[in-house]
Amino acid sequence: MTHTRGSVAQWFRWLHVSALIVAGTGSVAWAQSPSPSPPPATPPQPVAPTTPPRPAAPPAAPATPADPAPLPVLPAELPVIQVTGRVTDVLGKPVAGATVSVESDAGSGTASAEGKPAEAKTATVKTDRNGSFTIRVKIGATLVIEREGFDPGLANVTAATLDDVVMVKAGTNAETIEIRGEAPAAAPGAEVLDREELQRIPGTGNDVVRALTAMPGVVNFQLPLGYSGVVIRGSSPQDSKVLVDDFEIPVLFHNIGFRAIIPAESVQSLDYIPGGFGVEYGRASSGIVALTTRPGSDKRTEQGEISFIDGGLLAQGKIDDKTRYMIGFRRSTIDLILPSILPSDIDLSLTTVPSYYDGQLRIDHELSDKWRMYLSAIGTNDVFEIEATKEDSPEEAKAKRFYNNTRFIRTTVGAQYHDGPWSASLALSAIAQQFIFEAGLIQEIHVEQPAVTPRVEVTRTFDDLAGLTKVAWRIGGEAQVGRASLDLALPVEQREGEPPKSFDPKDVSTRFNGSFWVPDFAGWTSIGANLDPRIRATLGLRSDIFARNNEADLEPRGELQVKLPASLTARFSVGAYRRPPEYQTELLHTDIGSEHSLQTIAGLQYEPREGVRVQTSAYYTDRSHLITTNMDGSLGNNGRGKTLGAELLATYRGGPWFGWLSYSYSHSTRIDQPGDPERLFDFDQPHSLNAALSWKKGHWQLGGRFQLYSGLPYTPPTGAVFDSDRNIYNPTYGPVNSARAPMHNQLDIRVDYIWHSGPVEMTVFADIQNVYLNESVAGYFYSYDYSQTAEFKSIPIIPSLGLRGVL
Amino acid sequence: MNLAIVRCAALVIAAAAMACAGDLDPKWQLDHTRIIAVRATPPGIASGQSSTIDALLGTKGAPTSVAPPQLAEVVSPMSLADALTSSGGTWTVTAPSEDRLAAARTELMLAADAPVPLELGVSYDDQALIATKVVFLGAPADNPMLINVMIGGQPAPPSGSQITIDKTAKTLVSIDADNTVFDVEWVTSCGTMHDFDLPNAYLKVESDDPTSGEFGVVLRDPMGGVAWQIWPIQAQ
Repeated sequence: MTHTRGSVAQWFRWLHVSALIVAGTGSVAWAQSPSPSPPPATPPQPVAPTTPPRPAAPPAAPATPADPAPLPVLPAELPVIQVTGRVTDVLGKPVAGATVSVESDAGSGTASAEGKPAEAKTATVKTDRNGSFTIRVKIGATLVIEREGFDPGLANVTAATLDDVVMVKAGTNAETIEIRGEAPAAAPGAEVLDREELQRIPGTGNDVVRALTAMPGVVNFQLPLGYSGVVIRGSSPQDSKVLVDDFEIPVLFHNIGFRAIIPAESVQSLDYIPGGFGVEYGRASSGIVALTTRPGSDKRTEQGEISFIDGGLLAQGKIDDKTRYMIGFRRSTIDLILPSILPSDIDLSLTTVPSYYDGQLRIDHELSDKWRMYLSAIGTNDVFEIEATKEDSPEEAKAKRFYNNTRFIRTTVGAQYHDGPWSASLALSAIAQQFIFEAGLIQEIHVEQPAVTPRVEVTRTFDDLAGLTKVAWRIGGEAQVGRASLDLALPVEQREGEPPKSFDPKDVSTRFNGSFWVPDFAGWTSIGANLDPRIRATLGLRSDIFARNNEADLEPRGELQVKLPASLTARFSVGAYRRPPEYQTELLHTDIGSEHSLQTIAGLQYEPREGVRVQTSAYYTDRSHLITTNMDGSLGNNGRGKTLGAELLATYRGGPWFGWLSYSYSHSTRIDQPGDPERLFDFDQPHSLNAALSWKKGHWQLGGRFQLYSGLPYTPPTGAVFDSDRNIYNPTYGPVNSARAPMHNQLDIRVDYIWHSGPVEMTVFADIQNVYLNESVAGYFYSYDYSQTAEFKSIPIIPSLGLRGVL
Repeated sequence: MNLAIVRCAALVIAAAAMACAGDLDPKWQLDHTRIIAVRATPPGIASGQSSTIDALLGTKGAPTSVAPPQLAEVVSPMSLADALTSSGGTWTVTAPSEDRLAAARTELMLAADAPVPLELGVSYDDQALIATKVVFLGAPADNPMLINVMIGGQPAPPSGSQITIDKTAKTLVSIDADNTVFDVEWVTSCGTMHDFDLPNAYLKVESDDPTSGEFGVVLRDPMGGVAWQIWPIQAQ
């Protein structure tokens, strides 16, 4: 009965949230607004002095936290030192955003000078994206480490540098103090952002895609029309992969609004690895963006949000002591507004107004002390239909019709095991994906490609092995088996560096209708160990088998991490990478192979004090076997290329301030065929600067971001020959990518105001992109006969107003 | 196949097709210097028959004109380069003997009874305007007919006759043509064309549009046939 009442109460509260939203300004949002306060799902867990954290104290712990015995006097004499350490999960991944505080007890040394117990926690810091923290405490103190989704951990302060603290997922009740092995060295230049950080980077509108644009190495462009991936280090969108819960998703953002298909509220963390990624990642020759969905927390919350672009609901919490859930749903709202803001005199009928639906689900369940299971599902449905005419006749209108439907759902069931030195992760993931595009009367793409991917990885750690310390050995494998069904009727495709051809609605030179299997297999192993207390090396080997192309590859990769004096850490990484032939119509060609890259990266990280971090990296990527169009129109692996560059990222977190400065330099060139001249990649962007600052205090959060980046290269037309019978102009071009669009700069600002309305935390925000209306040139349009040129300018200003309610 | 990438290709096509013209002259604009259509009369000829080449030309600030090419040459196949001749400013294609056509079919890997496409390059305005045109050899064919052309609900007058339209209203225009087979192109230098590439279109004179000029229609068939009709027009 109580349970029933509780449920009804929860529904009532849910309705209350909804009512507040409806009664509000009418514009509320969750994916738009940075959370101005600590995320509601991750409240600090208050620990009373006599309430110990759940895990048992480490053997070295001076006293059981639950022990209420009176304190001796000695703590006052113990010296206060600056202590650094790192927090990882059982698989060695850094745990960012964990709260590290000092637990007061007899041996902690945190008692006051009068010999009386101090407050339970005298200092609190948070781990950064690398899981690192620095705190000033007395020797002998006990640190309490807490993070949503994990059991609290304890660590004894015995020296200025602590061993890594390994946290286990909530509920396993395993001890979390012992060192089980050091995490693999983070790739130079890599970043980890948790949800709170995603929401605090100013100017990113609480959107994953826009947060990515602040990363060093990510190519920025004002209107990423037609691209759904991320361009990293000047290569091509297809060279990098986007993963959710370790498995690839086909699209990252929607056709309209350039919004991510997963709201930031449903994201636990974002790993951005621009290069040098480990053997567990593959099928990419450039970088990796890995999103982890948000597990539910102990505190149950519901929230709703709506803006001019979209709106949605999210609920999360725990079902019982061992089971947590998160469920989210979002729908576009721009489709409700768009028809009323389009000028009535343009020849455009939005038969199906561009719209999208997104859904996310995650359930985590603890089976035992050693096993944890999760179910994760993410999906999207993106559709639009446009007729570039107001012609009433349906038959005639078909000639000017454009229809697109992109949808997929990926479901993953996984289990994680941890017992002493052994850890394992098992997962089975399936994806159903469909893409339909129809242009005019005869051009079309219909693609369906369901796939199933089982994946397993086992990690064994050793404190000492063969004279090495903190040894971690991992071995894993996966099989990705899909079946592609394609029905294509398209013009000859335009590949990297090939300037656009004239649009001919009757051109269906590329035709295919059939189905085939696409089985890919991979296995990997790596071993990491400390050669010296300051030097850690990781060596790995990955093997990929792209069975459709009868190709087997070996990809050795290695990393070296050296801790230097003065808070400096140097990292070096070298590795071989493969991108299978799956871009555009490459899958139709079984006689071509994967594209290769050899990445060499050196990085330096400097953390002079808590909250300040400077990270630089320099890289050189050699690309070979690039898939290019041969003289006879077939595809071959004849291209070569190279990219060199350098990146800088500096962050500051102190008091109410959060600052972010990133700069990238990149030079990316290629040769398509032996003997051809060297040219720039389509996405070569020499300079990209992002400077952001936010301030958060009380009810207010203010933030701004300034961007300055190079325009992209393009190939200027030199004229055109009129094909009178086809009634089209065939352009002639100058050297490929021999011109460049001008630099772009803009300033984005955002203001949030937070208040409480009864039990609901409300946030109203204004987010304005490009506040000084800089209409810079993003590219160029040409007249139908290429005799005239017009500038394609960026959107002058994008204002957004929203309201969010969290219960 | 990576859906992200295939979507990229698709959206680029859509963007190209729907690209906002901005300050660029649209394709229906007659007040623009260009070759509007190249015509072979007839477009298909049997061995021994001849076809003459001319074109409809648009010139900025001037009325359209019909003229033979200043220069012309055979682009393909070069083995039939002598099929094109010039005399007194007139360019003429004469289909060669059946034997030579048979040899050309072999060269071009065509079926034994297939028409042989003779691709011509033509130029105007001191080679500032260049176009290609195919004349089919070995298969006689005629240019299409403009059937049932209606302007403002009335049958179109003969070429050259003045058309007067109401500048405050849409002027509906139509032609009997299957747009899955034929290419229809309405052109004007007076007003704004809507759906200029559909058999049923309309003309509307906006406030900043010229109120006089020319109006026309060009019809192409899939075998190189082309026909056009141009009228002077005034909006009142």
